[in-house]
Amino acid sequence: MSSVLYQGVVKNYGALNVLRSLDLAVPDHMFLALLGPSGCGKTTALRILAGLDMPSAGKLFIGEREVTRLQPRDRDIAMVFQSYALYPQMTVGENIGYPLWIRSMPDGERRTKIAEVAAVLEISHLLDRRPRQLSGGQRQRVALARAIVRDPAAFLMDEPLSNLDARLRLTMRGEIKRLCQRLGATTLYVTHDQVEALTMADFVAVMHAGELQQMAPPGDIYDRPANRFVATFVGNPPMNILPVALAEQGIAIGGTLVSIPAARLAACRVAQVIEIGLRPEDMSVSAPGAPNALPGEIYVVEPMGNETLVNVRIGGGNVSVRAGRDFRGAVGANIAVTFDVSNACFFNSAGLTAVHRVNSDGE
Amino acid sequence: MANGGTQRRKYRLQGAGLDLALPYLMLAPGLLIVLGVLVYPLWDGLRASTKAYRYGSVVADVGMQNYIQLWSDPQFLNALWVTVKFVALSVTFEAILGFALALFCLREFRGIRLLRTILIIPMVITPVVVAIVFRLIYASDAGMLTAISEWMGAGQVQILGSPVKAFIGLVVLDVWEWTPLMFLILLAGLQSLPHEPFEAARVDGAGNWRVFADLTFPMMRPVLAIAIVLRTIDAFGTFDQVFVLTRGGPGEATRLVSIYGYDTAFKFQQTGYAAALFVTIGLVVLALAFSAVRLLRRVDAS
Repeated sequence: MSSVLYQGVVKNYGALNVLRSLDLAVPDHMFLALLGPSGCGKTTALRILAGLDMPSAGKLFIGEREVTRLQPRDRDIAMVFQSYALYPQMTVGENIGYPLWIRSMPDGERRTKIAEVAAVLEISHLLDRRPRQLSGGQRQRVALARAIVRDPAAFLMDEPLSNLDARLRLTMRGEIKRLCQRLGATTLYVTHDQVEALTMADFVAVMHAGELQQMAPPGDIYDRPANRFVATFVGNPPMNILPVALAEQGIAIGGTLVSIPAARLAACRVAQVIEIGLRPEDMSVSAPGAPNALPGEIYVVEPMGNETLVNVRIGGGNVSVRAGRDFRGAVGANIAVTFDVSNACFFNSAGLTAVHRVNSDGE
Repeated sequence: MANGGTQRRKYRLQGAGLDLALPYLMLAPGLLIVLGVLVYPLWDGLRASTKAYRYGSVVADVGMQNYIQLWSDPQFLNALWVTVKFVALSVTFEAILGFALALFCLREFRGIRLLRTILIIPMVITPVVVAIVFRLIYASDAGMLTAISEWMGAGQVQILGSPVKAFIGLVVLDVWEWTPLMFLILLAGLQSLPHEPFEAARVDGAGNWRVFADLTFPMMRPVLAIAIVLRTIDAFGTFDQVFVLTRGGPGEATRLVSIYGYDTAFKFQQTGYAAALFVTIGLVVLALAFSAVRLLRRVDAS
């Protein structure tokens, strides 16, 4: 296992700028999720590391070794593809053993390895089948087995769960996480699914429009987003963003004055914030007329079973609020939304988070 | 009463009756054409193969005699042997060349579209024209090869006059003309292969040769088989190129079964014998095609 380093990696397709100078350091043994909407450059970044695409500029290192111009086979990596990319005319066993066979590992040793890995992924009974006789989940396991059969410097996974149905995805998510923890493998995992990124990874790198937005542990990505993009991309439903104006004793949201502690107000003033960000679970609904509450009317109510999402229209903007499972309210009814301002974060005009939420460990 | 009868008939041709009859009415013209130009000639040919002709008219019913005679006719056996050699050599070279060209043209580079277009030109030229051009190349007195050879200080080049060289010249012509078909089918096959397994193989450690041997070739086997079967069936019937280039000569060196059959029918006026010959060849090709398809199914199922 080795660390991975992207140094100013750029990728252009003609005039199209897919990656703009990506700098990313992945320490040894880390599980890093590359998260972003489609077209953000995350898959390109992975393919460049694999050697399947060449960077337009910049350098790549795996461990101490520069690999920028090396062929994929000389990079000592293993990759799991979105479509599994199994070899259709080979049996499952041959598929798994291929990376070893190509390296001329003796038959006996290879067979032992295949059996070992197949046992880990619980596909020992499938070794003589061919890929098209397998279900999606089984193919996924074969692709994983083929990746872990060797002991490569790094694992690359390109949306490996996106072709599975929702239920299976949940199971495999846990399995891949366990597997990677067990192997202590340096892993780069590309996904557009924030839940996968947050649940599986040690670190999440959020990308947007070819640029790295933030790289941090999942908790920090959620609680301390670096900017407006990360704040709204991560979280379901996304963080509510409302314009704010600073006043003498507090902040004005949609014409309603909310008083906030002096220190926080001062910080906001220094940072020249223009927007407030609040997560749905940091807000609550209350009867209209409560102090420090934003008046509004119910726009739509979505019962989720374990909770109810209430969409409230406040002075021109809509916010999602998490309410209890027994919440009842009629569309159009007047309601108020309250929140603890220490849970809010504030954005400046550049869209950067200027004032973070106050952490439970104090700040 | 009569009135009621026509009423009823009209009613039938408008309602459910028409619905039932319509498919057959629509099929009828096409069916008649097929019967006229395909089924009847086939039947007539089969019938003719059991008769003896003289000056274009039937003189005797000989049953299977024509078929039996074929297998002791040294000229037929030689023609069959020449045909098999011709087909085997041509199709082999066409498959190898076509595959190589297809692999080469799979890559994207400047001018690749133009190159792909140029490569299929031989296939779309009228076969007789191809043969005439090759005759101009091969001709010993004023041919292109002779011209080049004399310019380099050597003498005339004899191709169509020598049995072995004429046969090779014919194979070269066929390879030139039909490699593009192989190329086209194989290129389409290559382009339809999924590309992820190839990327996976490169990451797994395979070089170009191993990628070809372990992935490309096995994945292309069904397409290759189809292309070879198509070409083989087609090559068995080669006629016009030989007719223009050598007429089967010198001697019997390039006399394919098609040429021999033609000679039998139109030069020697042995219509019944020729019919038996072509029916036999048809059965041979049919058997070849069937076994090839079975082979394909087995490859596919394994």
